[in-house]
Amino acid sequence: MPVPVIEVKHLKKYFSTPRGMLHAVDDVSFTIERGKTLGVVGESGCGKSTLGRTIIHLHEPSAGQVFLDGNDITGVRGGDLKRAREKMQIIFQDPYSSLDSRKTIESTVREPLKVAKKYSKAEIDEKTIALMNLVGIDERLRQSYPHELDGGRRQRVGIARALALDPEFVVCDEPVSALDVSIQAQVLNLLKKLQMDKGLTYMFVTHDMSVVRHISDDICVMYLGQVVEKCPAKELFRMPLHPYTKALLSAIPSVDIHHPNKREILKGEITSPINPKPGCRFAARCPHATEACQQAQVQEEVSPGHFVTCCRIHEL
Amino acid sequence: MPENQNMPFLSVKDLVTEYKSDGKIVHAVNGVSLTLDRGRTLGLVGETGAGKTTIAKSIMRILPDVGSKIVGGQVLLDGRNLLDLPEHEMRKIRGNTISMIFQDPMTALNPVQRVGEQIAEVVKLHSDPGTDCEQRAKEMLEVVGIPAERYYEYPHQFSGGMKQRVVIAIALACNPLLLLADEPTTALDVTIQAQVMDLIVDLQKKFQTALLLITHDMGVVATVCDDVAVIYAGHIVEFGSKEQIFDHPTHPYTIGLFGAIPDMNEDEMWLHPIEGLPPDPTDLPEGCPFHPRCKHATDACKHGPIAPVTTADGHMCRCCRLDEISKEAN
Repeated sequence: MPVPVIEVKHLKKYFSTPRGMLHAVDDVSFTIERGKTLGVVGESGCGKSTLGRTIIHLHEPSAGQVFLDGNDITGVRGGDLKRAREKMQIIFQDPYSSLDSRKTIESTVREPLKVAKKYSKAEIDEKTIALMNLVGIDERLRQSYPHELDGGRRQRVGIARALALDPEFVVCDEPVSALDVSIQAQVLNLLKKLQMDKGLTYMFVTHDMSVVRHISDDICVMYLGQVVEKCPAKELFRMPLHPYTKALLSAIPSVDIHHPNKREILKGEITSPINPKPGCRFAARCPHATEACQQAQVQEEVSPGHFVTCCRIHEL
Repeated sequence: MPENQNMPFLSVKDLVTEYKSDGKIVHAVNGVSLTLDRGRTLGLVGETGAGKTTIAKSIMRILPDVGSKIVGGQVLLDGRNLLDLPEHEMRKIRGNTISMIFQDPMTALNPVQRVGEQIAEVVKLHSDPGTDCEQRAKEMLEVVGIPAERYYEYPHQFSGGMKQRVVIAIALACNPLLLLADEPTTALDVTIQAQVMDLIVDLQKKFQTALLLITHDMGVVATVCDDVAVIYAGHIVEFGSKEQIFDHPTHPYTIGLFGAIPDMNEDEMWLHPIEGLPPDPTDLPEGCPFHPRCKHATDACKHGPIAPVTTADGHMCRCCRLDEISKEAN
């Protein structure tokens, strides 16, 4: 079997807060094969963005390991970290705040090439132009500043910057949630085309279920720092198993007016991720919760490639 | 207020609203007409900058004094033109007969005032002297599913979904006849969104409120609206019942909008975006505002105002190539 581009083992990221330890990412494991997209979905505060950032070492993991192309990059520093980062990039959610407002588009795209200290001036010029062509930024806009661009174009600049050093793995952190639906489709098509042309591997973080279904090969559903279900994208929608996944899918308002979703409205809201009790974190909102749910939960492969963390899964 | 049997409860006629920005005029709303009855829900859909929020703010007359202007048109509420009322009359109506739910619950509440007091304030302004405003505010908290004892807490002690419920409690405290809801669930997570939307609809049914729902989420429209108006560049390009718009969209923009949404039931390699960008509202194209992005556009689309075409059952579309496009489609 080929070595996966990204392998994450028992990754944890805790933040210290005045009220205790915040378990943002709590024991997450998965692999992503080359050229594939792993979608990560969940509600705000479930740790999906922190997971992405911890994998590419924008946060230092609290525990666990991250492998890039089979190499453990968990504790790397200095030159090794810099080399690892060339292969791992991120596209941020907000194209308004993720660009330097005092830099022209061109100098934003150029910056990673300069920082890499690998290229001559002529090579940098050539690559900058190639990158902007790649993502479809008109020549006339190259000396513009971010405020002169609409959201869709700004996000294209963010994509060009992320791809400058030919990364293998890109974390797409809600890259289209700030965009209108007609523009969103343009950017999603661009991301997909780039993936096919360059063999990129994506981790796609989003809360939009229709987007994640479209773009992903596999999907992880997160709840309060933990993966509650992971399986191939189509299967998740055809046969969701975890009670949280079911509730999440049923809450999406359907555009099909003749077949509205049978909605299962959850009571309550996400509980605090600070010093969580052992046991299923969804139990407080789960319509099927019993005594057994207060015990620590184990992930189980219920069918090939379909993982669920729920002790009542067989009864349900 | 006597209710006229033949006249719609809310009728907006040829509304034109402009902003001034950097010496240029932003044409935000360009001749919008719509009607809405008690107990009905009208969805205003469109993209960022299409003028949806400006329409709601014009109805409520809460546009900023400096730099914005309602240039023309009428807003008839039960036959009375709100645009002609003096400000002190309008103040009696706002929060009372008409109220608004704002998009962002984080900024709509006063961070240094107890949430209960923020609800009681509206009641105090619009009720008879001697009313127990605190009691009414506590009732409203219960109505939106928040225990009354949380009256004394501050907004930062509430989650996003609960803050939005407080905003809803404020908007509904005086049983408004017309509720303007501007993306009321956009800032919320999907499971919380479902709770909040259900709450708004329950309260609307209970009080027979006319609800104008602004959203860009077609799923929300499909779930709650009776009628739909599609806005593009400050124009209503298509109007009809939910069934007409969802089953038989006719305007190329509406069709494009539906086409761009990733389909939950089908696997497609590529999405179908609407190419190009919405026009600059300081420099709108002549003729149909959508023509620069429209694949059906001809010379006829580039001149003069485009007349609306309305079918016998009230489905309106503003497209001069309507017949040809529907022929091509068949």
